This record gives sequence, C-alpha cells and structure tokens, in this order.
Amino acid sequence: MVAVDRPLTPPLLRAESAPLTAHLRKEFRDGRALTFALDVAVEVPPGFTILFGPSGAGKSTLLDCLAGLTSPGAGRIAVGERVLFDSSAHVNLAPQKRRVAYVFQSLALFPHLTVEENVAYGLGHLPLAERRARARGVLDSFRAGHVLARRPGEISGGERQRAALARSLVTDPQILLLDEPLSALDEELRAGIVEDLRRWNAARQLPVVYVTHSREEARSLGERLIALDAGSVVAQGAPQDILARISARDGMGR
Amino acid sequence: MSFESLLLSLRLAAIVSLLLLAIALLLAAWLAFGRWRGRFLVEAFVALPLVLPPTVLGFYLLVAMGPRSPLGRLWSGLFGRGLAFSFEGLVVASLLYSLPFAVQPLVSSFRNVDPRLVQASALLGVSRSRTFFRIVLPLSFPGLVTAFVLSFAHTLGEFGVVLMVGGNLPGITRTVSIAIYDSVEAMDYSGAGRLALVLLLISFSALSIVYAVNRRVWSPWTAR
Repeated sequence: MVAVDRPLTPPLLRAESAPLTAHLRKEFRDGRALTFALDVAVEVPPGFTILFGPSGAGKSTLLDCLAGLTSPGAGRIAVGERVLFDSSAHVNLAPQKRRVAYVFQSLALFPHLTVEENVAYGLGHLPLAERRARARGVLDSFRAGHVLARRPGEISGGERQRAALARSLVTDPQILLLDEPLSALDEELRAGIVEDLRRWNAARQLPVVYVTHSREEARSLGERLIALDAGSVVAQGAPQDILARISARDGMGR
Repeated sequence: MSFESLLLSLRLAAIVSLLLLAIALLLAAWLAFGRWRGRFLVEAFVALPLVLPPTVLGFYLLVAMGPRSPLGRLWSGLFGRGLAFSFEGLVVASLLYSLPFAVQPLVSSFRNVDPRLVQASALLGVSRSRTFFRIVLPLSFPGLVTAFVLSFAHTLGEFGVVLMVGGNLPGITRTVSIAIYDSVEAMDYSGAGRLALVLLLISFSALSIVYAVNRRVWSPWTAR
C-alpha cells in the first residue's frame, strides 16, 4: 500500500543496518546447584525475528543479556562488526553505550514525565528545540502525537505502547528488542501498531527481536522465528515450518 | 523562659533536619544502589540510635566531643571553644541521633523505584547519576518528605542525648523537653502542660503530613 517510488522517510539504508549475532551462556545457581542455564547461538538479520517459547524458556534473560542489563558468563554479542560483549576479549559495553532499544513488557514509561518528556528523555545532549522536534516527529510516525502533553497514567494502553516504542527508537538504535510489549492489546490495536513499526523500519532495516509466547502472534508477525525452550534454541527458520513442526511434536505454546 | 526553650528546639530541629537531608541523600543513594557487599554493616551502624539507650549514645558522644578527644581538640583549635555543652555540640549529636529517621525512609523509597525504570534510562544512554536525579529522586518525593519531617520531629523531641551532651544551659542547650522536665521538677505543672501540648500538636501534625504525602502523591504518578 505504500508507494514504492515515493518513500515516506528518506531512504537511508544505513551502513549500520547490520545483523545481530550472539552466542552466550548464562547460568543461574542456588548455592552451588545449577537451577537454569541459557545457552544459545542466534543470528538476527534485519527485519522481524520472533523469539518464541513458553514462559521460563529464557526469552527475557536473553534480551537482558543482549541489552547489557545482565552479563552472560561467557560468549560474544555483536551487531555487524561492532562488539557489544566478548568474554574472551573482556569487552562488556554498558547499556548506555550499546545502542540497543528495548521495550519491556511493563513498558517502563517514566510516570512523572509527560509523553513528550519521556520520548525526549534520551536526547539530553541536543538543544531543547531539536529535542522537542525529534520527539514530536517520532511520536507522529507512531500516531501518538495527540497525547504528548499527557502523563503515562492518563492515556490508553495502546497509546502507552506507541509512546514506549517512540521513546526507544528516537535515540537512533542499532537493534530493537520487544519483550511481549503488545500482549495486553486486542488483535486490531496490535496489528495497527505493528504496521506502524514495520513502516518505520522499512527505511532503516534494523534487526527487530519480538518476544512472544503466543502462537498466533508468532505466525502473523515474523519473517523468521527462533524457538527457545528450557534455555536452548530448539529451532530457527521460517515461522510456518517451525510452528507446524513444534505442534506436531508436542504441545509447546498452545 | 519556656518560650525560649521552644524556639531553641525549633532552631535545632530545623538546622539538623536540613543538614541531615543532604547527608542522608548521599548515604541512602549509596546504600540503595552501591555495590559493596559490606553495606549491611553501615546500615546497622546507621540504625544504632534506634535501639541504643540515649544515655549510651550520649555518653559516647560526650567522650568523643570532650576537650581531650581528637574531635574536641580540632573543634577548639578551629573555633576557640569546646564542642560539648554548646549548641553546635547538640547539632552534631542530633545529626547522629536522628540519622536513621532520615536515611531509612530514603533507602526504602529508592529501593521501591521500579528497577525497569532505571534500566530504561540507562538504555536511553543516560548516566547513573543523571538517572538518579531525573528518575529516582522525583519518584521518591514521599520518602524525601518523610525523611525531613521525621528527623525534624525526632530532633524536636529528643531528651536523653541532649541532656548528656548539652547539659541544661538556658538559651544554649535547654531544649523544650528538658524545660518540661525542669517544670515538673519545680512542680510547675501548668507550664509543663503548655509545652507538652505544643510538642504533642507538632508531632501529630508532622506524622499527619507523612501519612498524607505517602498516600496521595504516589498514586497519580503510578501508571498501569
């Protein structure tokens, strides 16, 4: 439906649009006993990749490792040539330096700031006018420009999701991680937001990791799918194939 | 005469609670977000005035402020007079005595801030110190008010430590609680009653402020 010869956004197929590659191991212990181990090797090309699995599979832990909120014991995480974490080279970039956008399930909008202030929050290095202009621009592309003067507690669930997406993307990240941010919304709202996100990403081609435990979301959203269970990758590839295979084998998900 | 002691106490409480707010902010931020494993020792030390008899605390403070102690010598070297039995000595003693009342509400409200908010701030490229001032501190506003009001009220009503460290010098260290004690000793029950009523009203108002703030301010900011 978008006219190909007249792009909405400047067609900057940026040099930094690069795949995310990660292999890592993270252990959780209770005293000496190993309670859970996440041990994965994944590649996320530009575009939507679904991270699928039941709760407790390690999906959020994997995202936290990618974002630098927790450190894996061993492994390597890179976006293109840019190394975010490498245990053998003792590289471990702080979350501030990773250029990873991450939308939590709880969204974590700052409750005491307006939507506009939330979105402009990460642009502290820019002059005020520039900050506001950029915040408004991104909010408009996510169709949340009408709530910019309100606080997160005063707007609807869908508007909060849009605000959270806008906030995470305004700082020009290299990858986008979404931890079931739309799971609370009904189908129609969700489709609208995903549509806006796809349009936004069409020119940028960021690798997007979309976590879900819903089979239906997994089928409709992603171009690729990584299935995670009990801390390991059980399948990677085209969503249709993998979902069919998984449901044939056992009752994972539903 | 009784009015003088009330003013003295109010002045002491105001100075102490303002100073404490600054000290407790730094200390509480470190206790809530620091990484050193031995922080529990500092927390225990800060909480000591809650369980020690004021006379014990007062005794140690008196020794520490005495003319032969390092602190006492430093003070008289700088200002030419002793620290014990002076208004400044009372301020120092009250800072320690009321420390837990300022630190603990701050630590608990800092720890109550959703860690995801702090992480979201980091992911947006914002430093830890800036995150503290832009996110953690504003969301801890009720804790800030609680810390200030409780340390004010607690300093206003202290008795044992003041008696040990300050003695009972009219206009210098005779605080309102000591004036009440004196009035009762002198069988002046109406004078004691007036002062006691004032203290009671101030304490009740202070606690009302604490409970009101903790109930109201939080809710409009809490999104769900």
